[in-house]
Amino acid sequence: MSERSRTACRGYLFAAPATVYLAVFSLLPVAVAGYLSLHRWHLLKPDRPFVGLGNYAHLLRDPLFRNAIYNTIIYSAATVPLGVITALLVAMLVARPLRGVGFFRVLYYIPSVCSQVALSMVFIWIMAPEVGLINYCFGRLNEVLAATGLAALLRQTATLFGVSWSGQIDTMTDYLHRPGWAMAALVALGLWIGLGPRMIIFVAGLQNIPQELYEAAEIDGCSRWQKFRYVTIPQLAPTILFVAVTTTIAAFQLFTPVYVITKGGPQRTTDVVSYHIYREAWQKFEVGMASAQSYILFAMILVVAALQLWIMRRGLRQEVTG
Amino acid sequence: MPSYRHRVLLSLVLAAAVAGPVCDDPQRDGRTVLRVANWGSPAVESDFMRIEREIWGQFERLNPGVRLQIEQIPGYGQYAPKLIMQHVAGVAPDVISLDLSAGADFINNDLLLDLRPLIEADPEFRRSDYFENLWKICSRGERIYAVPLDFTPMMMFYNKRLFDRAGLPYPREGWTWQEFLETAQRLTVRRPEASRPSQFGYNFENWMPFWVCWLWSNGGDVLSPDGRRASGYLDGEKSAEAIQFLADLILQKKVASHPADRAALGVDFFLNGLAALDMKGHWMLIDYRARGLDVGVTTIPTNIGRPTTVIYVTGLSIMKQCKRPDLAWKYIKYATSEAVQVKRVASGLAISGNARAAAHYAGNPIEDAFLRAVEYARAPWGSRVENYAVCEDFGTEMMENILYGHSSVPQALREAAKLMDAALYQ
Repeated sequence: MSERSRTACRGYLFAAPATVYLAVFSLLPVAVAGYLSLHRWHLLKPDRPFVGLGNYAHLLRDPLFRNAIYNTIIYSAATVPLGVITALLVAMLVARPLRGVGFFRVLYYIPSVCSQVALSMVFIWIMAPEVGLINYCFGRLNEVLAATGLAALLRQTATLFGVSWSGQIDTMTDYLHRPGWAMAALVALGLWIGLGPRMIIFVAGLQNIPQELYEAAEIDGCSRWQKFRYVTIPQLAPTILFVAVTTTIAAFQLFTPVYVITKGGPQRTTDVVSYHIYREAWQKFEVGMASAQSYILFAMILVVAALQLWIMRRGLRQEVTG
Repeated sequence: MPSYRHRVLLSLVLAAAVAGPVCDDPQRDGRTVLRVANWGSPAVESDFMRIEREIWGQFERLNPGVRLQIEQIPGYGQYAPKLIMQHVAGVAPDVISLDLSAGADFINNDLLLDLRPLIEADPEFRRSDYFENLWKICSRGERIYAVPLDFTPMMMFYNKRLFDRAGLPYPREGWTWQEFLETAQRLTVRRPEASRPSQFGYNFENWMPFWVCWLWSNGGDVLSPDGRRASGYLDGEKSAEAIQFLADLILQKKVASHPADRAALGVDFFLNGLAALDMKGHWMLIDYRARGLDVGVTTIPTNIGRPTTVIYVTGLSIMKQCKRPDLAWKYIKYATSEAVQVKRVASGLAISGNARAAAHYAGNPIEDAFLRAVEYARAPWGSRVENYAVCEDFGTEMMENILYGHSSVPQALREAAKLMDAALYQ
């Protein structure tokens, strides 16, 4: 065997574990799921007929699955832009060479290393009626309103507008059972959990921007906003693109908080696709249908990620070409 | 370059990693391994678990060539799916504790061994030792899929101290909805300007298995008699009346706790002496006794002139993949025997499926009330109808929509019935 062949052989051997892992635990399940999605396949039924695209056709007509897609889009549409913006702002704050900034970086990163189940439990408490953090704060606020006479003023003002209100905020509100609020809680939790990793990536990106560019901008008389707009953003564009794509993928795969906090309720307003797939596969054991749902989710992620890449690359090209 | 010794070591580690799972045969330490699955966390330290361990240890001492491998599966909702996955993967346990309320998924799909030949071939085993009503739930036609281990009907518990304080007589067996409503109203204590009563008449918990008997007690039902559809039954007149009655108790008359009340305080109102009535099973007696709660038990209020309730049964079954059914049967016979059962149910978790063992605890009003219920209690739908757990989720969701004001009763019932129909037809 020649030296060249031996080198190639060694290279393949080094790559083999990762390749085998990828093939067995990623590619093979994807292929098997594709096969299952073309069959009416119940885990416990011996009869598993080939239905072609029947499962997909059924899903397109299924109002519950369409609802899950809608919820997933709503969640992603809220989480991705907010997640990118908040992480960028926090990264700009903690990227400064200030004393004790390391403490804040750790503080912001801690949620992402905590168990999502534990964080979800914290959110259940925050949103709980009466004793939850939000309602507790409203309770204290009510006391202030009552003590200062503002409650009476608010009551009278409401009466003037024909609204019957005691001037006190209801502290019995069960936010997790209010359709809009439950989704808002999931979005807030998603932002909290994802802030750390996104912030770290942005900090790395910010630190890679050559200082000379800022100095040149200052010499040209740029304001802080102009430096941000014409130096930071273009230099950070590849990082923003990366964070946006990974945040989108994570948002489309939302599962744990839904499973722990809302179970898809209230009124199925938080029944997202991943949770829907879980129920289809592990409660109904309809793995054929669940596989078809997984492929649809995969297609959704692929399309949205490709769209993001295309839009942002186009924007980047325009920045470069002027 | 790694040394020869390193290469040998690496090879041994890899060989061990590959061979480990392959060498997983049912013979270990020269003893035959019998795998027994049960739900519940292995980490829980309770009187019941201590008794269970003693029982398992005694079986091993009586059968020196056998080692019991107890597989506790945490998370009640995860138990059946995990067993089903183990079956699909060909690694199912030998013996399982089967919750018959989800039994149809196992029985209808032929996952369990028919125990009748084993029972009939065993002269020591007497079917008559067990409650007849439980055999019906454990069987399908001539086939027997489980030996009754323990059971509990759902009953109405009442807090004697709160009744005494209100100067009310304890509820009689066979009491009516009207009597229940009046009692609950008199036991509800309100303080001026408080957002909720300081004491509820009735502790309502929104989980369909906990409230399905209310439908039955008005002559309604969830599904048609053949178990194939919910339309016309769940949204039928009688069921709608029952759900409306419950909704009124909570929303209009405010004598029963709302799920938001429980979410706010995070406590069981009845267990903490903040509610006078609660519909639960025998297992709650452990907590009530631990808290020193003086409780009584009576029938679920009825609107049809006779009491009705649901009975939740656990049986011991042999999975079809079991390679030593003779040994598995030996374990089942041992675990459901009178002597073992007398010891096992001492913790108060449930009532023994072995009538002779249950008789040891008879003679006190609470146990007797539960034992009387065996005669009239109904099997849960999940013992006959596959996918019923999904229907129960729809039912729970339906009640939530009503109680949080998202839907009216008729609308919520119609929607839930439609969803259940779709789930049942799949």
